[in-house]
Amino acid sequence: MNNNLNRALLLWIQQKRWLLFVALLGFIFYHFLPYPQNVSQAGYRTLILGVMVIVLIIKEPVPLPAVALLIVILEVAFGIAPVSEVANSFMNDSVFFIMGSLMMAVAIVQQGLDTRLALGIIKITGNKVTNIIFGFTAISALLSSFVGEHTVVAMMLPVGLSLVKNSSQVRKIPNLTVLILFSIAYGATIGSIGTPSGGARNAIMIEYWKSITDNAITLSYPQWIIMAYPMVIIGILTCPILLKMAFKPECSQLDTAIRKLKVQVAHKGKIKGKELLTIGIFIIVFFAWVMLNEQFGMGIIAIAGAFLYMATGLVEWKDISQHTNWGVILLFAGAISLGVQMKNAGTAEWIGNSIISMSSGLIDQIPMIPYVINITLTMIMSNLMSSSGTVAVLGPITLNMGGHPLFMGMTTSIASAFGYFSAVAAPACMIIYSSGLVKVADFLRAGWRMGLASFITLLLLYKLYWPLVIQFTNFK
Amino acid sequence: MKFLIAIKDTSNESKNILKIGATIAKGVSADISLVFVGKKSSAILEGDVNMARRSLTEWNILHPGLEVLEWAYKTILEMGFASKIEGGFDPKNLIEEKRRIRMVLPQSSGHKINLILREGELMSELSHEVDNHKYELAIINRPRRKRITHQLIQFINTSVFVVGNFDPKWNYKILLCVDDSRATKRAIVFGTQVAKQFNAEIRVLTVSKTVKFGKGYQNAHKWAEKYLKHMKMSYSLSKLSGNPTDVFVNEAGENHIIIMGKAKGNEFLKYFKGSKPIHTAQKANCPVLIVN
Repeated sequence: MNNNLNRALLLWIQQKRWLLFVALLGFIFYHFLPYPQNVSQAGYRTLILGVMVIVLIIKEPVPLPAVALLIVILEVAFGIAPVSEVANSFMNDSVFFIMGSLMMAVAIVQQGLDTRLALGIIKITGNKVTNIIFGFTAISALLSSFVGEHTVVAMMLPVGLSLVKNSSQVRKIPNLTVLILFSIAYGATIGSIGTPSGGARNAIMIEYWKSITDNAITLSYPQWIIMAYPMVIIGILTCPILLKMAFKPECSQLDTAIRKLKVQVAHKGKIKGKELLTIGIFIIVFFAWVMLNEQFGMGIIAIAGAFLYMATGLVEWKDISQHTNWGVILLFAGAISLGVQMKNAGTAEWIGNSIISMSSGLIDQIPMIPYVINITLTMIMSNLMSSSGTVAVLGPITLNMGGHPLFMGMTTSIASAFGYFSAVAAPACMIIYSSGLVKVADFLRAGWRMGLASFITLLLLYKLYWPLVIQFTNFK
Repeated sequence: MKFLIAIKDTSNESKNILKIGATIAKGVSADISLVFVGKKSSAILEGDVNMARRSLTEWNILHPGLEVLEWAYKTILEMGFASKIEGGFDPKNLIEEKRRIRMVLPQSSGHKINLILREGELMSELSHEVDNHKYELAIINRPRRKRITHQLIQFINTSVFVVGNFDPKWNYKILLCVDDSRATKRAIVFGTQVAKQFNAEIRVLTVSKTVKFGKGYQNAHKWAEKYLKHMKMSYSLSKLSGNPTDVFVNEAGENHIIIMGKAKGNEFLKYFKGSKPIHTAQKANCPVLIVN
């Protein structure tokens, strides 16, 4: 009996569940230590809570929704903010947006539009490998800009994997397999930076601009596109070339595989009313985002879209409730609440200043340094804890690291998509990795090229393009 | 009886453990659960990954784990473990249970087979599966990392068969390592069953660190002799001195299956220092069965 208890205890230790208790004890321990003079007591506590949350998100000793609940509990229990303020910061437009877009994704994916997409892609690209890789990257990127990365991944990966399977039956094609799968995964990631609806992280940054920056910056849907889309276009053009440099395809044409894919999707017949309605509702939502974003907010429009999908019977509530990741919504709500408290308590400013003061001499000579630090930090974090999680945690800090808050925020948001090196940054990367067809080494082989190219492009954009467009647009 | 076979891929190594598992299970009329433990996506991406997986299923692209299980199921049927039934493997028949996904298979004549899909860390998942579904034996390929072999033996709360360097021609004898551990008698009984199943010769070996053999060792050795005589098995007996692990490994070479009882003693000490069975399983050039 005693040995069974010991075994259970050791197993518990082995599974790193103790990390939660170590994190809590650490929080309480540091809470009683003297804190730096430049930061308030609440700010210091927020800092400890922030560190604890990052550890808990990366190591997952408890379910993520539990981390969100812990944030709320500790914010109130340790006097970081009164309960009403915590409640206010917990629910906002970006949380509505994340909720609405996840619900819309369930509705869109359920309609089987992926087969239509497959037919469309084949028509455009033909059977040449170069065209197929470019087509997959471009279509994944363009779609994910608007409907979100997670939706595109669910629709494009079956097309890509079917092509891989059909081709593998004829001959072994390890390089071509990796090439096709990366073109979808990286394409979707590149596209997700193009508009505010591309990913949860963009909505989170918009929320931070509104609630954290001194002038309460607002950025409309079209303004975001003006700033970010050149990055998407450059990505679409360079990604296929860089991928082909990393993985030389075994053949230049895919006749048989394409023929089989055509047969696979031919049974669908003409486009149905339900499918048209699905597309129609999304177009309405898109135009509402472009034109009504400033009056209603992106979140309410996304929620309205989800409502329309349910009201028209395109999706049942049962499916939405079953397939929406409510835990992630809760987690982002908690992380945003923590971000807001970091601003209110002065923590974000203190960390930002501390980081910048380490290289202040250099900044005087090279003003680009805060942006370089920002991109590097964000890129590292997104490869460890997912892109959206990174913006939620790092956003308030980078906005206080010097530089123009609009540019710094945009840089964080865009750089969070540079999770090319690991499987944890984006859902597409996770799926292609768990399929067993792509190895960790492949991520590194393709990732360093993509990472370097994206890093340079983003810096060029900041230096040459953004100062130019900020003159011509009406940012508030 | 219920046996668990942990399948990691469609390699020859996996085929070998299916063969071992099916043969032993047939001999003792045991049911088999084929378990695949896949990588778990981070919780933050879980919803998106699941949505893409549902989409892939619509295109008949199965979860990689299901593909492995389908292969394992077909392979074990080809080995004659149970009779084939049309439409046996059907991804539509998956049911979600606590921390695992199980495929409901039609009842077949012969033995019962379960197909289980889990996601997470190998040791935690296998340990959870064994704790919650009571298996008499877990059969695993020897992991490349010694620390994982250690953890699997210590934390899977049942008998563990660690299969390494397996010879598909089955030129094996049984090396029954007998000492004063609590599980020694069970190891002798189980070893005898396995030997019968494979028509293998048994060699009983007791190793003491010193020249003198303690009472516990001597009694266990005598009990083994008595039992094997009673069971009318062909056997030989030997007592040697030296470091037990090294002697077991050297004497076994590549042509024995080592069978020994799980070590007694404090779990914390075992965690840090290991034990005779753990070290033997890590070092041996042949399969090792550790009886709980």
